[in-house]
Amino acid sequence: MPVPVGVLRLPRGPEGCSRGFSPTSPRFQALLGGDAVTTTAAAQGARAALRQRYLRGLAAARGRPTRFCLRAGVRVDAVFGAADVDAVAFQVDALQTPLGVQAAALLRCADVLAYSFLLD
Amino acid sequence: MQQEAAVPPGTKGGWAAARSQAPSAGPGTERPAATESVLDVGNMNDWQRKSPVDWETYVNKMVKVAAIEKHEYEGWVLTVDPVSASIVLATFLENEKVSISVVLGHAVQKVEILKEGDDEMKQRLSYIFAPEESKAYSPEELEKRKNNLKTWLETNHIPVTEQGESGRTLCVAGVLTIDPPYGPEECSSSNEIILSRVQDLIQGYLEKQQ
Repeated sequence: MPVPVGVLRLPRGPEGCSRGFSPTSPRFQALLGGDAVTTTAAAQGARAALRQRYLRGLAAARGRPTRFCLRAGVRVDAVFGAADVDAVAFQVDALQTPLGVQAAALLRCADVLAYSFLLD
Repeated sequence: MQQEAAVPPGTKGGWAAARSQAPSAGPGTERPAATESVLDVGNMNDWQRKSPVDWETYVNKMVKVAAIEKHEYEGWVLTVDPVSASIVLATFLENEKVSISVVLGHAVQKVEILKEGDDEMKQRLSYIFAPEESKAYSPEELEKRKNNLKTWLETNHIPVTEQGESGRTLCVAGVLTIDPPYGPEECSSSNEIILSRVQDLIQGYLEKQQ
């Protein structure tokens, strides 16, 4: 089973109206190997469904007080802002640090182990 | 082992605890990349290597996630982000609130399925992130909304087709899909320019209707 490539590492598609490889392009076919046409459709469907739910989750998180659990047991509270497309950083507002409150900040995803927030 | 799936931020003790637990190294402090590089290319863990089909088998199940630094999280799996392999967990609290915890893919060590979800739980989970208005329409209303929008798009010379099960998804020019209940929030496209234009159009159309 080939490992899907991360979103941002894909070059722009040849047809100019989408990103990523065109699934019919020789390059994409080569990436998958010969057998994978049917399994890919299922994998792609699953990937799309999972990603859509995740993006809806990010939208739901926006503006909510969130606790971030960082490395070495560090916990910080902030208001969730946004995440970038390939999960490099989270943008947060009102980050409570031991030195004071930062109006806006970026948290590197590699430093974050988990975060949680409440929905009502 | 620490248990911390449902730590609601904003509780009194919580804030104080967070302060006292936060030593000098705040976020943004440069840390030597001792254990993992920022981009996990080439040293992805087993969980990140899984395929979307594998991740999908965990959805709607109660799991226990063992993360690095001996953290543990428990909850119902809402989804797994296929890009970062982050697991989104939901825990239902007594006061009808839902606590969402997201464990980032690079921190996941082991995921153990504790319980399967029944149909009721699946339904409940699927409603958590559903856009507000999608809950309120009957199938007939949805059909009517779809046909009205389709007609309106066609009269404005925008190419639109139906696809998916019983044609419930509208597809604009082959690059953008609109799912029920056919509002701006339900448009999906990988092209953000087309997405923004069509969302504006639909927003305008809905405002004009009211």
